[in-house]
Amino acid sequence: MNNKNIIGIYDDQDVLLNALDELMENGVKIKDVYSPIPLHGVFEKLHLKTRLPYATFIYGAIGTITVFMFLYWTSVVSYPLKFGGKPLNTLSFIIIMFVLTIFVGTFFTFLTYFIREKMYPGKQVELPIPETTNDKFAVIIQKDVTMTEDDVKKVNSLLQKTGAVEIKETE
Amino acid sequence: MYNTRVRGVLIKGNKSFADVSRDIIKPMDDKTPMWWWVTAFLATGALFWGVWGFYNTISTGIGEWGLNNNVAWGWAIINFVWWIGIGHAGTAFSIFLLILRQKWRTSINRAAEAMTIFAVMAAGLFPLIHMGRIWDGFFIFPYWNTRGPLWDNFNSPLFWDVVAISTYLMASFVFWYMGMIPDFATIRERTASKMKKKIYGILSFGWIGNAKGWLRFETAALLLGGMAAPLVVSVHSIVSMDFSVSVVPGWHTTIFPPYFVIGAIFSGFGMVLTLMIILRKLYKFKDYVTDGHLDAIARILTFISLIMGTAYLTELFMAWYSGNEYELFTFMKNRVTGEYTFAYWTMLTCNALIPQLFWFKKIRKNITIVFIISIFINIGMWFERYVIVVTSLSKDFLPSTWATYEPTITEISIFVGTLGLFLLGVLMFFRFVPTIAISEVKSVLKETTTLKSFTDE
Repeated sequence: MNNKNIIGIYDDQDVLLNALDELMENGVKIKDVYSPIPLHGVFEKLHLKTRLPYATFIYGAIGTITVFMFLYWTSVVSYPLKFGGKPLNTLSFIIIMFVLTIFVGTFFTFLTYFIREKMYPGKQVELPIPETTNDKFAVIIQKDVTMTEDDVKKVNSLLQKTGAVEIKETE
Repeated sequence: MYNTRVRGVLIKGNKSFADVSRDIIKPMDDKTPMWWWVTAFLATGALFWGVWGFYNTISTGIGEWGLNNNVAWGWAIINFVWWIGIGHAGTAFSIFLLILRQKWRTSINRAAEAMTIFAVMAAGLFPLIHMGRIWDGFFIFPYWNTRGPLWDNFNSPLFWDVVAISTYLMASFVFWYMGMIPDFATIRERTASKMKKKIYGILSFGWIGNAKGWLRFETAALLLGGMAAPLVVSVHSIVSMDFSVSVVPGWHTTIFPPYFVIGAIFSGFGMVLTLMIILRKLYKFKDYVTDGHLDAIARILTFISLIMGTAYLTELFMAWYSGNEYELFTFMKNRVTGEYTFAYWTMLTCNALIPQLFWFKKIRKNITIVFIISIFINIGMWFERYVIVVTSLSKDFLPSTWATYEPTITEISIFVGTLGLFLLGVLMFFRFVPTIAISEVKSVLKETTTLKSFTDE
């Protein structure tokens, strides 16, 4: 796979969103968009989805069940001990279950995020356009081997037309 | 839709994205200012005094404190509850205001969350040291032991407390750190210093800010926030159960959980107000933390203060209405009148009456007065815990066991030490971390800074 890209740089979020529309209408494939802020328009236009909420739900459910099993086992099976005349398997378990569900859910969601994003402390990254962490928005378009000169020109002129402040090509 | 005609401009000075990054990162690049060193010196001094108190308590024992058989809980639990209360603002700010779609939170949430973490750390020290034999602290964890195995009492609020607070600390930290990752990346790409590039490169975890990354980031932040929201309510409810499940007059009431939660959010917002006024003054952040922001916090405080007042009156009413003479005695003879009158009325004045001054626009606009009132709130909330703990314990059912309580120098030093710890943490935060969430401010910048006319809609 080649990594040749055409990058259109924009400096306004609304201009960028309109540009995305226009590019896609003209059949240009958008590889990625780099931005300093999350843009919901981009998520919708690129049809991006994440399954993170399902993962969180599963972690939470596992947390609740495991904690209940542990509490039940310690208080009813392993060493049954009456406290204040309350039943061994008491409703007050709910409090620990509730809090630890949040614990498990939070902690593993946090971990999952980094695993899915392949992020870790000290990871070295090379940004195509470093200014995208500050004030620029970059649209990355893959320059396929099948692209002819004319196609490239078309993409360039489209980027120009939609208000890109700069157009770059990377190897 | 944020209507600037109605709500006013959120971030002043017609900033561009680049301006936002530059302004917020500037204090980190500047030379360490003198006030920083002076405050850090004082805070370290306080911390050392606290370490002395800590050492004193551990090496000699809890006897170093002014506690006795009756008043078995003194400053330690008062300060613990006070710090936990302050620690509620961060998440309350970030999450409740996120759910309520309050865009003005973006300038404040980072600082509020940082405050939360240091406050909870300070709070956590008190239960630890209160064990007396700190080296046996691991007994609190349900581990496999050779005594049966004998497990913890899972019905005890004291155990719930440990679980709730460690969860709260972890969740707040994770939420806070997550929010900082894009900002660390901004610093990484902006800075000219090699050292900084390396450090913030490590801290930023290799953030690139592409579309999928942002989507996952937003989803994760929302999930973490959503899960931490019930914690804000549950942590202090659980703390209140330390008191309310006992039979001590003045504690044994069902109003305690909501009353504590509201009190916690009240003191947290009070502390946020104090800190934000200092922060915006020192770092010239008046365009970001505008008078409008402080006005909004002041309005919230007015409202919460009314709830606090209602809670105090409800307690008095229930003491009378329940017909329980011990309750009535505690409230009427030992709080409203009697030995602890000063503490009770300080609490009532600072929490329920003084914040009512915020009804006047002139007072809300005068930042000096707002600052002074915020300090009063912090003091008032400390006295609230003092009133709850000491008055109820000192005079209970049997007059022959009545006792008075006064803190010793060791207890005072530990409290001052935690103040030092908190202050040092805040100073580190001021110096090494972007104090305002850069990417979040940017994301609300465009729609909230340009003054729209009504015809634009």
